[in-house]
Amino acid sequence: MRKQLGRLPIHGSLQKVFLFSFILTTILLASLTFHVLANQSPPQNQLSASTSAQTPSLTSVEYLLKNSLQPQRSISATLPPPKQDPCLHCHITGENKNLWTPLARWAIFGTMGLIFAFGMYRTGSVILNRKTWKPLTNRTVEWVDERYEISEPLTKVLRKPVPKYALRWFYCLGGITAFLFVVQGVTGIMLAFYYKPTPEAAYASIQFIETQVRFGAAIRAIHHWAANGMIIMCTAHMLRVFIMGAYKNPREMNWVSGVLLLVLTLAFGFTGYLLPWDQRAFWATTVGSEIAGSIPIIGNLALVFLRVGWNVTGETLSRFYALHVIIIPILTVTFMFSHFLMVRRQGVMRPL
Amino acid sequence: MSHEHLENEETIPFFPDQFMREFRVVIGIVVIAVIIGVLGMINPVGLEDPADPFNTPAHVKPEWYFLGLYQLLKFVPKTTGVLIPIVGVVILALWPFLDRKKETSRKPMKVRALVVAIGMIILIALTIWGGVS
Repeated sequence: MRKQLGRLPIHGSLQKVFLFSFILTTILLASLTFHVLANQSPPQNQLSASTSAQTPSLTSVEYLLKNSLQPQRSISATLPPPKQDPCLHCHITGENKNLWTPLARWAIFGTMGLIFAFGMYRTGSVILNRKTWKPLTNRTVEWVDERYEISEPLTKVLRKPVPKYALRWFYCLGGITAFLFVVQGVTGIMLAFYYKPTPEAAYASIQFIETQVRFGAAIRAIHHWAANGMIIMCTAHMLRVFIMGAYKNPREMNWVSGVLLLVLTLAFGFTGYLLPWDQRAFWATTVGSEIAGSIPIIGNLALVFLRVGWNVTGETLSRFYALHVIIIPILTVTFMFSHFLMVRRQGVMRPL
Repeated sequence: MSHEHLENEETIPFFPDQFMREFRVVIGIVVIAVIIGVLGMINPVGLEDPADPFNTPAHVKPEWYFLGLYQLLKFVPKTTGVLIPIVGVVILALWPFLDRKKETSRKPMKVRALVVAIGMIILIALTIWGGVS
């Protein structure tokens, strides 16, 4: 049982190679993304220009190699390296001074080196001990299991039976909604790194994201379209559950939490829509809160609560931003967690 | 609970079978998101004119998911128009307590499918109408 737990769900070495290279490429590309495309080279002032013209343009590594080839002299006995362009500390002379090049270099060649070192260790171990190599995944699971005894609960969670009637495509809609929420969270955080929630700076910060931030336009487009997609998938999931009658006893509270999640998703859309602070956002929010104001009895309270006053101002923007980024996400995660727990406990309903 | 009524069912284990099915769906969504991202760099979402509190534009419209409600509000007095969605959501949330009948045939499912079809057609029609007017 334990051996089976540590097995990857991929058979064949070629597929494993593809998987690891895919992960590696993703990490590398992710490290390249989402950085401000400002002019990276430092300002060339007169002082640094004259010193670099006089001194030999060696990297510190080349300088050390050159000096260490001399016998009877230790490194500490050599002179300190001459003043040079500090960029050469990480870059090679003459190359494009992109901020990410050294990191990419360390990542690629470091990973290759580590894989090579591990390969040497594994080969040595197999030759010397004359035993088959126990895969790393098996070793990790055993290591954790020795200390925490997670084998039983982990097996129960991982081996949970899924009935074959739950394998049709429309049973995926809820999971798709949940994953789109994760996508929105990730892209939302990336946008929040650069968005400024004041009436004076909001519009310009979004223009900055779309033009000056690397892949900023892409992240914003994903956030915009995945928001629409999440509403559509949430509604589709609700209709599937409704048509199949999976809201009935004992699943009533699951349905209630689901409707609540739909309302929260629409609230996400409503609050997020104001944030660009352009004409469409401003006036759509004005009209929307006006409609909320015509609720009987609590209308005025609702209007003043939403707008923070009688008009849409910068205060409204701050409140909508706090709602969009903190309050509604916390509520959504809470209700999603209870929604998933209930489904897990009760299982998928058997259709007639 | 679930472990009881599944003893007679044909099942697959969550890991690795269902996990890999869901993982492929996730990869599919990531691919679609990347395509949307690439298209977004060619054709960004963009902005309209900056907000001007003293200048109301000619056609003010909410986001598409509120267009149906907006269109409805043009024909129904304001209070009624606001109460319809609120009462609707409350009825929707409490529906399992209103419809408790145990089902034995597939007929109720077909009835519900018909109700959903009609409801969605009305909603989509209202939304499109709200969008073009």
